[in-house]
Amino acid sequence: MEESKEPVATECREKMTVVVAVDESEGSLYALSWALDNLFPAAVGGAPNKPQPLGRLVLVHAQQPLQHLIMHPVGPAAYATSSVIDSVKKAQDQNSRDVVERAKGICRRRLVEAEAVIVIGDPKETICQAAEQMQTDLLVVGSRGLSKIRRAILGSVSDYCAHHANCPVLIVKPPKGGH
Amino acid sequence: MAAKAEDASTAAAVGKAVMVVGIDDSEHSFYALQWTLLHFFSPAVRPSWPYKLVIVSAKPTPTSVISVASPGAADVLPFVESDLRKISSQVIEKAKDICAAHSVLDVEYEVVEGDARNVLCEAVDKHHAETLVVGSHGYGAIKRAVLGSVSDYCAHHAHCTVMIVKKPKPKH
Repeated sequence: MEESKEPVATECREKMTVVVAVDESEGSLYALSWALDNLFPAAVGGAPNKPQPLGRLVLVHAQQPLQHLIMHPVGPAAYATSSVIDSVKKAQDQNSRDVVERAKGICRRRLVEAEAVIVIGDPKETICQAAEQMQTDLLVVGSRGLSKIRRAILGSVSDYCAHHANCPVLIVKPPKGGH
Repeated sequence: MAAKAEDASTAAAVGKAVMVVGIDDSEHSFYALQWTLLHFFSPAVRPSWPYKLVIVSAKPTPTSVISVASPGAADVLPFVESDLRKISSQVIEKAKDICAAHSVLDVEYEVVEGDARNVLCEAVDKHHAETLVVGSHGYGAIKRAVLGSVSDYCAHHAHCTVMIVKKPKPKH
């Protein structure tokens, strides 16, 4: 009984590190908006130059590694030339930057400061790893609301994070059409 | 987003969004409750928090605990029933103590009979909750499949955001 209270007491920090996983999907941007509205509410409508931030918001975007794309044969060419690799990588980097910019824009509109991190690798694993490295208090992920079978086949980042992340996980569902 | 907040406020008394925390008699769920209180409700940390806390404890039905076909089941039933009721009231008492320790006083407590999975999802609908918080046993994939997992079920089926709070793993 006593030991379960101990670790919680020592973790009492005023500032909470919240990591939000973002990608191009509407689900993750909705998750970000939800997190901003519900976890950092005082920023809305309050004085913009409030001295004390409520917590640290970190946006994480996982960029698929290049090997993933090269494996798939593209047309008649059996292997990709270095120029193709370069242009694909440039397009990917640009894509990541766009996603991060959009996410940062959402934060800025709600007067919340956010840091951004781009990690390269399989989204499921890298997001959990990044969260662990940053000593996250809460990991926020969106959910596409897939059915059970599609989850198993397509793989689900939110499922993986819920099972494997070392920290508490918040899964934000897309709003239901008719409640 | 504004319309959704309106809905929640007409349902909740004080016009605050509702956060439901599911607890049972396991250490993991009390850890989840403490974590939630510490980071979201403690007045020292969050002076005015726009959330109303509802703590829901699912009391298993006696028939789910003992197999009805076993001999002498009918005799054992009343004892099991009173035992379960005692456990639930202990769970709620402990939850009350934890809330008091964190100086959180505006809390609603509910004990609902039934399977924890359904109880929590129904509580979310009933209170129009914005968030559901559950602990997690941290079972591996096989144990989860065999024993079933309340946090898994809620993560997939609850009609709101779900927060799964785990006890940090001791190593790595």
